[in-house]
Amino acid sequence: MADAQFDSALDLLRRLSPRDTKANLQAITSIVPDLTEDLLSSVDQPLEIRRCPQSNRDYLLCDYNRDGDSYRSPWSNEFDPPLEDGTVPSERVRKLEVAANDAFDVYRELYYEGGVGSVYFWDLDDGFAGVTPGSQSSGEWDSIHVFEATDRARMSHYKLTSTVILHLAKESEALGEMDLSGNMTRQVEVDLPVESDASHVANVGRLVEDMELKMRNLLQEVYFGKAKDVVGELRSLAPLSETNRDRATQLEMIKSIQK
Amino acid sequence: MASTVELASSFIEGAPPGELADVTAGNTLSLLVLPLPAPALTSEGENIIPSLIPAFERYNERQLATVKLPGSSQEVIVSEFNKLEDNRYFDTESQTSFEVDHTNQTASAAQSAPLESQNADLIKSLLKSLGIHAREHYPSCSYGVYPIENDSAVAILVVSNRYSPNNFWNGRFRAIYQVPASSSSTVTGKIHVDVHYYEDGNVALNTTKPVSLSVPSASAESIISRIATAERDYHEELNRAFVQMAEGAFKGLRRQLPITRQKVEWEKVGGYRLGQDISGGKGR
Repeated sequence: MADAQFDSALDLLRRLSPRDTKANLQAITSIVPDLTEDLLSSVDQPLEIRRCPQSNRDYLLCDYNRDGDSYRSPWSNEFDPPLEDGTVPSERVRKLEVAANDAFDVYRELYYEGGVGSVYFWDLDDGFAGVTPGSQSSGEWDSIHVFEATDRARMSHYKLTSTVILHLAKESEALGEMDLSGNMTRQVEVDLPVESDASHVANVGRLVEDMELKMRNLLQEVYFGKAKDVVGELRSLAPLSETNRDRATQLEMIKSIQK
Repeated sequence: MASTVELASSFIEGAPPGELADVTAGNTLSLLVLPLPAPALTSEGENIIPSLIPAFERYNERQLATVKLPGSSQEVIVSEFNKLEDNRYFDTESQTSFEVDHTNQTASAAQSAPLESQNADLIKSLLKSLGIHAREHYPSCSYGVYPIENDSAVAILVVSNRYSPNNFWNGRFRAIYQVPASSSSTVTGKIHVDVHYYEDGNVALNTTKPVSLSVPSASAESIISRIATAERDYHEELNRAFVQMAEGAFKGLRRQLPITRQKVEWEKVGGYRLGQDISGGKGR
């Protein structure tokens, strides 16, 4: 029953307005509190920004750097509000995390020319996992890339799940109000060679870079191509009698050629 | 805190075009709401559905739900403008009244309902002109013209639905206009376009366009002609807005490639230092 309820909750969130995901998530978890933890870790929500008191730099809040009500800054490795026994990565994985934050900071500047980015890593039994949330233009664009790296001999198996949340709105007298909002998720799994821990940062970096390019193209296609096409399916700009006549003429021509 | 009935009602009213059954009977809502322990249930006991009927009714009336008349393939509109008592609604074109089951969106108990209005001639002419306009531009639509406000005005409705769940998209176009019957000088109303795309994601287009049109004469032809022009102008404006958003706001959010036209050299931007820090670039 719990699994079926969980699937139902995900299906419901996939159908209701993506603008209201946060409120709908709260509504579902208030009806079925048992689903709260599972839903929080599987439903991507717009990211919030917090200033790290130690480094004075902004970082992003997500379920992966949360422990109770505190969030860990990737810059200081400290929890805010402070936690006595907050879960932090092992020494090796923290070093990877610091290097990945440096690398993704360059990536963010090159592609976003602004915005806020963070990288969080955590240990797994046979490897490590991480997430690189990025946010641009106060909630218009949020990207969340979650990956797992499983150690194999001179190789690592990477599994990447990427979500982009994109909110766009426009308003004018001629247009009225137009809201185009949503999120899309894609997954990829690949084995890549690993010479040293440095390889992990480059491997994950390239995976995220390629995936984000694909998703940017996909979002462009769905938001501005597909949505516009569906509007055209609902309403035809050209009179349908003309369109049907043209189509009939075309069919006649094809038939006469085939004869 | 909001009650289960209120929360479940908000889910129903938020259902995208063509997905009411998926949000409710199609297991989502029922699985979430029904197996709850006793204290979460309504005072009626096990069955929460009766307390949700007002939400279904609001959804159907606002979304201009369409129902098939019994024994006919014709789909007619359910709205606040053609509402009678006891879940009954009327259609002026077929001069029929019918009962609506709001949870299942079906019609039954059809009866003849001759149009009784001092504006019957205007309504009939409007229906004729509107039908010609609607068939020219909406491949699958329903429309209606009803006397409203104690027979002092008329409501003109158009709804066009296209559902393609196999391709993970659904859409709805709604236009709702009101015009005073005595001096048909100004048509006021709203156009709404809702599109849902949900393949490996959840993307929604929602628009609202208020309309206010001055009409040169109170004739049905001139009213529908002004409406047709306004709808065409709006459709063109919406198409332009898609292009502007793609070229403007969207492009400004994330570059397709860095300004250098080169992808990131990941070995140089963090990897080297890490390799040296840990083990001179060899060990793991």
